[in-house]
Order: sequence, then structure tokens, then C-alpha cells
Amino acid sequence: MLFTSSKVCKLSAKSEFIVNAKAGNILARKCMTCGELHLATVYFCKKCGKKEFEDSIIEGKGKIVTYTIMTIPPAGFEEFVPYAWVVMELDGVTGIKISGFLPHIAKPEDLLIGTRAKIVGFDERGIILVKQ
Amino acid sequence: MEQVSNFFVESVCVLGAGSTKYGKLDDSISDIAIQASVDAIESAGIEPKEIKAGYISNVFGVADKQVHLGPVVMSNLGISERPSLSIESACGSGSVSFREAFANVAAGFYDAVLVTGVEKVTHTGTEWTTTYFSYCSDFFYEGQNGASFPGLFASMARAYLNEFNATEEDLASVAVKNHDNGLHNPKAHLRKKITIDDVMNSAVVASPLKLYDCCPFSDGASSLIVCNENFAKDHSKDYIKVIGSGRGGSPAALQGREHLTTIPSTKIAAADAYKMAGITSKDVDFAEVHDCFTVAEVVDTEDLGFFEKGKGAEAARQGETKLNGSISINPSGGLKSKGHPIGATGVGQIVEVFDQLTGKAGERTVTNAKIGLTQNFGATGASCAVHIFQSV
Repeated sequence: MLFTSSKVCKLSAKSEFIVNAKAGNILARKCMTCGELHLATVYFCKKCGKKEFEDSIIEGKGKIVTYTIMTIPPAGFEEFVPYAWVVMELDGVTGIKISGFLPHIAKPEDLLIGTRAKIVGFDERGIILVKQ
Repeated sequence: MEQVSNFFVESVCVLGAGSTKYGKLDDSISDIAIQASVDAIESAGIEPKEIKAGYISNVFGVADKQVHLGPVVMSNLGISERPSLSIESACGSGSVSFREAFANVAAGFYDAVLVTGVEKVTHTGTEWTTTYFSYCSDFFYEGQNGASFPGLFASMARAYLNEFNATEEDLASVAVKNHDNGLHNPKAHLRKKITIDDVMNSAVVASPLKLYDCCPFSDGASSLIVCNENFAKDHSKDYIKVIGSGRGGSPAALQGREHLTTIPSTKIAAADAYKMAGITSKDVDFAEVHDCFTVAEVVDTEDLGFFEKGKGAEAARQGETKLNGSISINPSGGLKSKGHPIGATGVGQIVEVFDQLTGKAGERTVTNAKIGLTQNFGATGASCAVHIFQSV
């Protein structure tokens, strides 16, 4: 089965977030009051509570801070096993991390913590990453 | 009338407790919920008509064709006129349900209420249970990207092993200890002694977590009668007092957290519960914690203040958390051995505390225990509730 996003909420930034991820970038929102950065799907600033943001497009490159290698997957991911699900810290920004799908990883030696990676797309597997 | 805080008019007690066996059950979700409820009513020595409201927790009722479980349970207890609330908070549903019961009794709305948690998922098979559970994550960022719950906790485990002086064998020691405890629990799902080697040699589910690092998918139901102290005194000597209740939240997705080796909601909930109880972690004799995966128990014991950050794995390795060790953790066998019917788990933890503090825990009794704590979270700890209980 395919996982699809709800398109009911016209205010959602998810479709815009996906367009940016497909181009290898992360769409973030910078609070115009305090400067705190958030992923674009947030509606209010977690630091000061204000809702005025400006878009900030961040290059989808960084280093892996943790990951797992999935061998028993949820439905829809059977044909991709084994793969890594990773959490990545983005270069040059503090306060936001992203997570994503990194294909063709079979053993821990293939992906040490600290490995550099980048976003190369977004499809039914969410954000797609590869090692840099 | 004793006041437990400035805001409460009633002191709250647990008067009765019951559970089905946890495991693969044949009966329907409503049947097992009702069986556990009847057990709790009989344990409390009350009549169903004395129950003024019901709090029923469940997550995946849709998988067994029954949601809105509250009225179904109440109707089958002969009290269809009583109000009920059906509650979902992922794996933390049971403790949230208990908290609602606590708050309502404390505020004086009701003198006695029923809290029942239930889950029925094993008939859907491993792949679909894994998939349903992934809906409890922040799906846009986690489940949609192929993360399962073992995968999310495996990511926490890798971060923990990388940051602290801990090994996969240390995590395995948590599973071995909980299986040892579960051997003495007739209602436990997995009653089987295991060794460190068994854990290390079991199939990898999501590295570094192996099958025996993971709790099982379970069916089951647990139930409590929660009441004010006058009601408890009128009915039974066997009751325990609720002395602390706290809840907290964390960023829903792991990526939103500053540290990946701690669960913020646990710390917030524990701080509130300790404050209400007027105690510290040192005063707790035993705890039922949320060990959905071995690494979770290690992190929980640190977040609850039993061990310093980064020392929980070492404490497990050295046996400090064994039954009647320096602090007994999961004398019931925990989610790992007792099982994890997710809507019931938080209620089941309190059933264990009731049994321990009223002398019904048999061979798994924590010696001279007076104060027990429960910690139950939803998803990767996006929500958490901590409760503290005292014997009378």
C-alpha cells in the first residue's frame, strides 16, 4: 500500500515541504520575533509562542546522529529491506534535525554515527537520503 | 477528610484490581475488557451499581471491530446509565485513563469509578501490528519514512551506546531480569527463563535491537476500582493510596528532541508526581516502568532519578534493578515478559502495585515495600504519566 498525506488542510506546509525535499532542501521557518528555527510544519514558535515566520531554505546536508537498520519493516517497505532510518543534524543550523530513509544499508559498519549524508528526494518512503 | 493538595477535596485510593492473562487471547476485545472489569469489581468487594463512571483506554479497537468501548463495558456490567470516557494515548493510554479517574475522584465528582484498559491486536499478524503501531509515531516524519517502533527505540539505543559506557549485553541484562520476574507472574505473556546469549543470538529486528530486546505484541485487559478514602474504608482493608500523579509531554518526533537518550515527558511527569507526593526517588521501594524495549527501561530508570544519566545500563548489569535489589524494577516482569497490550499496560502496572502493596504478589513480592511508582508513556515518550502509591 502507499502512504499518502492528507490534503484537506489548505494551511498545511507539508506539500511545500515535500517540494523542497524533492530538490534536496529542507523548508524551515524562522521566527520573526526571536529567530528560533523550526521545520516548516510548525504553526507557533516553540520558544516565544509567536506565529509570524519567514521561510528559510536549508541545504539538506549534514551528519548522521543516530540510526537503525530495519529488518522487520512496516507495510509498504518490504521490498526495501534492509534499509536505514536515520536522524540527521543539518549543517550550519542549530535547533533542528530531520529524519529520513537511507536505502541499501545492511550492517552497522556501513553507516557509522557521524557519517555525512544528503537529501536526494522525497517519495512514498518519505525523505530519501544518501551518504555524501 | 484529608487533603492531598490545595486543589483536591478527596484523597484517592485504589480499592480493587484485576487482569486477564496477557498474551494471545481468543475472546473479543469487549469480552476481555469486561472480564478484567468483573475481576476488579470482585476484588474490591463492591456491586457494579456503586460505580459512578468508567474510564476505558484502548488504541486499536478498530482492528477488532469495536471502538467507543466505554458504553459497551458499562452496559455489560448492568450500568448503562453511567457515563464513560473512551481514551487513546498510544501505549500510554492506560495511565492517562487512570489520571482522569484520579482527577475526577480527587475533585469530588464521583466517589468510585472503574478504570479498564484493553487491547486486542495479535490476530492482525506481525506486519500489520507493526504498521498500526507506526501510526503512533509523528507519522509524517517517522512512520512514513519507514520507521517502526523497534526502529525508533533502536535509534535511541544506538545513541545511548554511542554516548555512554554501555554495551548491547547490558541492554540484554534488562530482558533477562524481566523474564526472571515474569516467571513468577501467572498472568505474564512470556514465562520463559532466558540468558544474555539468548538475547544476543536472537534475530535482529532493528539494529541494535534484537527480538529479545523487544516486548511482545499482546492481547489483554486490566482493570481498577478507584475511589475516595471514605468509600475505600467502608468496603475493604485492602486498598492503597494514590499520593502522586504527574503528566508530561515531549516533542512528538525524536528529531525534535535536543537529546536522544532521555525522555523529557518522563522527567516532567516524575517531577510533578514526586512534588505532589512530597518524596524523592530515594523513597521509592519499587517501580513498574515502561520497558517496551530494553533500552527504554535503562533510560526510564535514569529519567525517574533512580540512577545518574548514563549509569542505568551499568546498574542493570550489576543487578541493582533485580527483584529486591537496591530498587526493584518491574517485579511483574514488565512489558518485556508480562506483555504489552498497549491500551491496558498503564492500568496493568497499577494492578501490580496494588498486588505488591496488599500482599498478593506471591513469589515476586518486593520485601517490606511501602511506596510503589508507575511510569507509562505513549509512543517514544511523546506523552507520559507517572503515579506514586503508598500502602495503608
